[in-house]
Amino acid sequence: MELGRKIARALEAATFERVAGVGLANAEENRPRIARSVLELAETPLGTGDAAVVVGAGPSLHRRRSLERLRGSGFAGTIVAADGALGACLRAGVVPHVVVSVDPHPERIVRWFGDPTLEKPRDDDYFRRQEMDPMHHDDEHGANREVEANRALVDLVNTYGPKIKVAAATSAAPTVVERCEQAGMDLYWWNPMYDDYDKPDSLSRRLWEMNGLPCLNGGGNVGTAAWVLTNAVLGRRRIGLIGVDLGYAPGTPYEKTQYYPELRELLGDRYGEAFIHTENPLTGETWFSDPAYHWFRDVFLEMARDADGQTVNCTEGGLLFGPGITTATLDTFLENAAGGTIDHG
Amino acid sequence: MPEFLKGNYKVDVTIEDKADALDSTDEFEKKALSRLGGSICFVSKKSLIWQGEGPPPASRAGAPDDKEKAGGAGTKNSPGA
Repeated sequence: MELGRKIARALEAATFERVAGVGLANAEENRPRIARSVLELAETPLGTGDAAVVVGAGPSLHRRRSLERLRGSGFAGTIVAADGALGACLRAGVVPHVVVSVDPHPERIVRWFGDPTLEKPRDDDYFRRQEMDPMHHDDEHGANREVEANRALVDLVNTYGPKIKVAAATSAAPTVVERCEQAGMDLYWWNPMYDDYDKPDSLSRRLWEMNGLPCLNGGGNVGTAAWVLTNAVLGRRRIGLIGVDLGYAPGTPYEKTQYYPELRELLGDRYGEAFIHTENPLTGETWFSDPAYHWFRDVFLEMARDADGQTVNCTEGGLLFGPGITTATLDTFLENAAGGTIDHG
Repeated sequence: MPEFLKGNYKVDVTIEDKADALDSTDEFEKKALSRLGGSICFVSKKSLIWQGEGPPPASRAGAPDDKEKAGGAGTKNSPGA
């Protein structure tokens, strides 16, 4: 078996190791701020009809100008965005009804909402390196523009925050929670499902006993969690995906991938063997994944197979295809889902 | 060391138990792998949402029913906006 696939098989347990401790600690710290369950979000007016668009932060969002096309269509359904896609949404004039945040990282995730405390670039090169939002990359002359991009995002989120609801996992970093509240966003809470709730010593069960919130099966990443929320909580039955690529676009240097430093450290010079290249049957492009994205893809397909409703991959790229997933262009999905128009700006 | 492996004489060399070394290798691998994991767990063969059993134990939760919703069936949609 290829090395990448072999590592991917270990990631269900590895993710538990990575997030359970800090996620539970955050749940405890966030407890006094929890006022509403995410179930109340299902009773809140969002978009019309049973169609929704879930916005991930994958590179197809920019390559296919998906958000600009979504805005231009006047789509009237519900828009749910992963936190990493919030900046791209707002810059494109799309104000999502709901933003989902799960990652417990204490410093990074707040940047997706604009970090008012950031005065100079941090040593952590994550935002300069990540493939999700190129606004945070160095400019064409190699100059760092992180602070400038962050400042613009702070302003945008402050402006539109009061119109946006946040579906916050109890694992979310308290810095994120504080920032959302400061920007006037309403928070609706849920627990990540950490383990099998049928087992008597289950952490998921203990969390539910502590705060009474529903547990969502998160699927490894925030984009998949946004889809789970849209399906299982909001009850939308026609869900279009944009920016949910679960892979890296052709030509992306390995050094610019999410887990490059970790793979380099773990595998040394063999790190390249961890990447898995796959041809997208529709575009003919060869995208690639690292073990994490490969696992995310397998997990998504497993969940989609058993889910009610239709999930339509409108990314026009990426690696999410297989049983349970319908593929269509974004324009086709939007035409079929049309049920009136609304200005998302 | 298991009882049946004990000798009935003394040896001059010190024999190190490898168990600790193996544990630390496993621990290293576990830690290294955990850095490659996702930002939220996935629990295979379970439903998309679990709303607990019986009435919510905490007063704040708005869980209307005590049920598991496989695939999210039955959640109300509230058109509006």
